[in-house]
Amino acid sequence: MKEQTKPQVVNKGLTGFLKAIRLDGQTLLLLGVVIALTIFFAATEKKFLAARSITSMGFQLPEIGILSLAMMITILTGGINLSVNATSNLAAVTAGLFLTRLMPQEIAPELIGVYLAAALLIALLVGLLSGMLNGFLIGYIGVPPILATLATFTFYTGISTGLTKGTTVTGFPDQVAIIGSKSLLGIPIPFIIFVLLTILTYLLLNQTTFGFKTRMLGTNPVASNFSGIDNKAILMRAYIISGILSAITGILIMSRTMSAAYEYGTTTYVLLTILISVLAGVIPGFGKVIDIFIAVITLQILSTGFHMMLAGVRGSSFFKDFAWGILLIVIFVINYFIRARQKQE
Amino acid sequence: MFKKIIRTNEFVIFLILVFLSLAIGVVNPAFYSISTVFDTLRASIVYFIMAFGLLPIVIAGGIDISFVAIAAVTSYATHMFLLGQGYEGGILLYYVIACSMGQLAGLLNGFLVTRFKLPVFDVSLATFTMWYGFNLFFVGATANFQLPKGTVGYYGNFIIKAQDPIVGETGLHVSMLYVLVIGLFIWWFLKYTTIGRGIFAIGGNREVAIRSGFNVTRITLVTFAIMGTLSAVAGVTQAFLSRYFNPVIFITQPLDVLAAIILGGAAITGGSGSVIGTALGVLVIQLINRALILTGIPVEWQRLVVGVILILFTSIPALRNLRAKRIGHTTELTQSE
Amino acid sequence: MPEEILRVEHISKRFGGVIALDDVSLSIQKGETCCLVGENGSGKSTMIKIISGVYTPDEGEIVINGNSYKKLTPMESIREGIQVIYQDFSLFPNLTVAENIAINQQLASGKQLVNWKQIDQIAAEGLAKINVSLPLDAIVSTLSTADRQLIAITKALLANARIIIMDEPTTALTQKEVMSLFKVINDLKSQGISTLFVSHKLNEVTEIADRTVIFRNGKKVMDQDAKGLNIKAMEYYMTGHEIDTSAIEYGEVREAEPPLMQVEKLNLSHGFFDVSFELKQNEVLGITGLLGSGRTELALALFGELPADSGRILINGKEAPFRSIKDAARHGIGYVPDDRIRQGLFLEQSIHNNIVISIIDKLVNKLRFVNNQAKESVGDRWIDQLDIKTPSGELAVKSLSGGNQQRVVLAKWLASNPKILILNGPTVGVDVGSKAEIHELIRSLAKQGIGILLISDDIPELIQTCHRILLMRAGRIVEEFKRAEITEQILDSELVAATAALGSRK
Repeated sequence: MKEQTKPQVVNKGLTGFLKAIRLDGQTLLLLGVVIALTIFFAATEKKFLAARSITSMGFQLPEIGILSLAMMITILTGGINLSVNATSNLAAVTAGLFLTRLMPQEIAPELIGVYLAAALLIALLVGLLSGMLNGFLIGYIGVPPILATLATFTFYTGISTGLTKGTTVTGFPDQVAIIGSKSLLGIPIPFIIFVLLTILTYLLLNQTTFGFKTRMLGTNPVASNFSGIDNKAILMRAYIISGILSAITGILIMSRTMSAAYEYGTTTYVLLTILISVLAGVIPGFGKVIDIFIAVITLQILSTGFHMMLAGVRGSSFFKDFAWGILLIVIFVINYFIRARQKQE
Repeated sequence: MFKKIIRTNEFVIFLILVFLSLAIGVVNPAFYSISTVFDTLRASIVYFIMAFGLLPIVIAGGIDISFVAIAAVTSYATHMFLLGQGYEGGILLYYVIACSMGQLAGLLNGFLVTRFKLPVFDVSLATFTMWYGFNLFFVGATANFQLPKGTVGYYGNFIIKAQDPIVGETGLHVSMLYVLVIGLFIWWFLKYTTIGRGIFAIGGNREVAIRSGFNVTRITLVTFAIMGTLSAVAGVTQAFLSRYFNPVIFITQPLDVLAAIILGGAAITGGSGSVIGTALGVLVIQLINRALILTGIPVEWQRLVVGVILILFTSIPALRNLRAKRIGHTTELTQSE
Repeated sequence: MPEEILRVEHISKRFGGVIALDDVSLSIQKGETCCLVGENGSGKSTMIKIISGVYTPDEGEIVINGNSYKKLTPMESIREGIQVIYQDFSLFPNLTVAENIAINQQLASGKQLVNWKQIDQIAAEGLAKINVSLPLDAIVSTLSTADRQLIAITKALLANARIIIMDEPTTALTQKEVMSLFKVINDLKSQGISTLFVSHKLNEVTEIADRTVIFRNGKKVMDQDAKGLNIKAMEYYMTGHEIDTSAIEYGEVREAEPPLMQVEKLNLSHGFFDVSFELKQNEVLGITGLLGSGRTELALALFGELPADSGRILINGKEAPFRSIKDAARHGIGYVPDDRIRQGLFLEQSIHNNIVISIIDKLVNKLRFVNNQAKESVGDRWIDQLDIKTPSGELAVKSLSGGNQQRVVLAKWLASNPKILILNGPTVGVDVGSKAEIHELIRSLAKQGIGILLISDDIPELIQTCHRILLMRAGRIVEEFKRAEITEQILDSELVAATAALGSRK
C-alpha cells in the first residue's frame, strides 16, 4: 500500500492544490467584492493604486489578519477566543519589559541579537501559556468558550496592567523596528509574515490530521469523541495555536509602534476579528483560510479607500467602521438570496 | 417552598453577593456605609437597564452586542441635534427622541434577523460596527460637555439624601426609580404576557414554538424593539449621570453586560433567565469592581483579581456539570428501581 | 352497533418509484384500542401521516366522524379530533408542566395576558382526566420520559382528541412505566377515546390490543380481533415467514482458541454489578435486557466512555484498563452507538470523512500530511463493500437514508480493522430490507474472525445473529442462553419474568 502511494505524492499534491483553489460561492463573492471595490477606488482616487498606498496597506493589514487566523481556528472547533487581543498585548508587554528592564543599557552590539531572540521567545512562550490556560478551561473543565475566554481576556489584560502599572512600555533598541516597519524586496515584512502564516495555517487546517480532527470536532463533538478522537487534546492544541498566533501579532504591533501597552486595540480588535470570520463564512467545522485572507484585504481596501476619499473631512477614519457594517449586511443578504436560489434548484 | 428557593440559581448568586460583601467588610469596615450602597447602585443603574433590555433576546436564544452601539448613537445624536436647535429644556425630550430612534435601530436588527434568517450575533456584529462608525463620522467624534440648562440639576437629583462621615452628602439617585419600573415591567412582560411566554417557548424549542402557533417573527421583533428602546434609555441616563455625552460610550462593554446576564442564571443557549438573577449578576460585577478599590489591592492589579474571580466563577458550574455527566449516564437504572 | 370514528378506504401512496402504501383500508371504533404492527418500512408511519393530514394519499379516501375527505389538511385532522403523539412529544423542556399542558388553550384563546391560576386549573383538570398527578410547577426537562409522555397525552386530550395516535410510545419506557401507560390507555377507552397504538413489540401488543392490524411492505396483511392471537402468528404475518433459524448459516465459533475478550467482575455504581463473560473469536454474543437493565452502561464501559469502577477487562489474555474511548479503540474495539445521529455521525461532513475518521492517523504521507487520495480510495472501498447507495462519497452524510447512514457508522469502525465490535441497537430506525442485510453483514463479519457484542432488545434480531445471548436484569447478568436452546417465546417470557421480579422486589 505504501509503495503504491509514494509515486502519487506529486500527483496528489497537484490535485490537492487544484481542489484548494477551486473557487466556491463564498470565495467568489468575496473576490467579486475586492475587485469591485478596487475598481471603484482606483477610478475615484488616483493615488489608490500607487505603490505607496499599497505598501502602506501591506503594513496595516497583517496585524488584524493574523489575529483573525487565531480567531478562525477556535471558531472551527465550535468555540471562540475573546482573549486574542489580550494575549497579543500580554506577549508584547512581557517582551517589552524584558527588553527595557532586564537588558543592560550598555551592551555589545553582537549581543543585542541574542536579547532580541530571547524577547521573541518570551512573547511566543506567553502565547503558548495563555493558549494552554484557555485550552484547559474549555477542553478539560468544560467551561463554555465564550465565558472562559471572556474571563481570561480580563485576566491577561489584568496581568499586563499590573506589570506595566497601566503605562505604555517604550524605549526599545532600534533593531526591534525591523520586523514591523521594514520591507524586503519592496514587500513589507509584516505582510510576508502574514502570507507565510496564512499558508501555514492553511496547511495545518487542510492537510494535517489535526486540521481534519478539528473540523470533525467542530461539526459534532459527541460523535468525534465516540470516534476515538481525543477532543480535549485537539481543543488544547487549537487554543495553543490561537495563542501563539496572537503572540506573533503582539510582536508585530510592538515592532511597528515601538511600544507595548495593555490596552492596545481593546475590545474592538476582537470584534473585528470575529467580523472577518463571519464575513469569510467561517462556522464550526467549515471555513476556508483563503476566505479569511480575502476578507482581511476587503476590509483594508475599504478603510484605505475611504480614508483617501474623505481626506480632510472631520472624523474620516471612522467612516470605515460604518462601511464595514454595511458591507457585512450586504454580504449576508446576498448569501441569503444565493441560498434561496440553490434550494429552489 | 423554602427548599425550592434555596435551589434556585438566583439564591446562589445572592449568596455570592452576601459572601463578597462580608469578605470586603472584613478587609475594610468602611465598606459598611450608606454611601457604598448608594454609589454601587448609582454605578449599576445603566447596566441594569441595558441588561434588562437584552434579557428577552438572550432568553429567546440570541446573543446581541449591538445594544451598546445603539445606546451610544441614540444618546449622542439626540444631544447634538438638540444642542444645534438651542434646546434648553428638561431631559424628557431627550428620552422621547432617543427612545424612538433606539426602537427603530432595534427593529432594524430584528428585521434583518427575521427576514433573512440570520443569526442574531452576526447581525448585531454588523450593526455594532455600523452604528459606532455612523456616530463618529456623521454625528461627531468628541465628547460634549455642554448640557442644556433644564438638565443641569439632574446630576444631583436624589430620592433619599444621606450624610456620610467621609464623603459628605450623598444620595440615592432618582434614576434608580427607572430601574425599578423597567425591571418590574420586564418581569411582568416575561411572566404575564403571551408574547413573554412565547419568548421562553422560542428559547426552549423553536420548532415546537412554531408548530404550536406562536408568531415567532412578531415576538422576535418585539424583543429587539425592547432592546433598542432600553439601550437608548441607558445611553441618555449615563450621559446625565456623568454630565457629558460620549460618542463611543460602552464600546468595550457589551460582553460585560452579557456576562452579568449569564452569571444571573440565563443559559447562553436560551430558554432561561430572570430579571432578579440579571439584577444580581450586575450587582456582583459592580461589587467586585468596587470591592477591589476598598480592599487596598493596588489599582493596577485589580483587573487581574477580577479575571481570577471570573475564571473561578465560570469554572465551578462547569466542574459540577462534569461530575453530573458521569452520573447522568446511569440515571436510567436508578429510575427503574 | 359500535360507532365508527375513523375509516380510511383503499389508500395508496407512492414516493417516486417506491410504493409506501398499497390499497390499504382501516377503521377505528369509538373507545377501541387498535394496534398497528409492522416492521420498519412496512408503511406504519406513512399511514399516521396520512391520517394526520401531513401526507395526501395518491388514491383513496378518509372518513372521519362521517365526514369524507379526499385531501385532509393537518388543521382539519386536528379539528376532527385526531391527535398524534410523536416520539419527541413536542414539549418545551424549559417550561413547567402546567404551562406545557395549557399553552395551546392560551394561544387559541387569543388572549394577550396570562392568567396563571387558569393555567394551573386547566392543567390540573387535564391531568385528572387520565388520573395522574404530576407536580404542576415542575420544569419538564427534570421529568422522566414517561412523565413527559403523560403530559403529551394530556395535551392531546385537552385538544378534544377522539383518537390518540401513539407512535412507538414504549421505546424509551421501563417495563413499569409501560404498565402505567397501559392503565392510562384503558382509562381513555372508558371515556370513549380511541387509541391507535403503533408498535413492533409484540408482547406489548398482545397485552393492550382490542384489535390488531398488521402491515407488511405497504399492504395490510391482517386485521382481526386481538383475542386468541398469539405472538407466533403475528410474527408470521409481520415477516411473511416463520423465523427459521435453520436456514441461516451461522459461523463456527473457535471454542478451542483462547477468548478475545474476558470481562471479570466488572462494576459501575448505579450501572451494573459483577458482570463477567467471555467473548471468543468468530462469536456473536448478544446482550439483552429491558431499558434500564444496565445494558447500555455496560457497552459504554467496554468502550471506555464510562470507565468501570472495579473489575478487569482482558483483551487476548492481557489486562487492558480502558480509561477513554481512545484506549478502547487502540485495543481494536469499535462501537456502533444506538443514537446514530448524535453519537455516530457528522451529518454535514462528507461520507468519506465520516468513514476515515477512525484511521485518519494512518492515512498520512511522509510529510505527515493527510493523503487525500488514500482517504478517498479507502472511503470508496467501504462504500462499495457495504453497498452504501450514493452518487459520490463527497456528499454529506445527511443526504443518505437511515439504513445507509448506519452502514457509514459500521464502515467507520470496519475501516479500523477491529478485533471486537460492540453494536448497540444496530438496526433501530432501519428499513426491513437493510435490516436483513445488516444481519447478514454481522454474521459474515463474525465468520471473518471479529468478535461481536450485539446489544439489542429486538429478539428476532438476536436469534438471527447470535451464538449466545446474555440476559441482564437490574444491572446483573442473570441468565445465559445458547442459540440452540432458545426460541423467541422463551426469551420474551424471560424478559417479562425479569420485569415481574423487578416489581415484586420492590
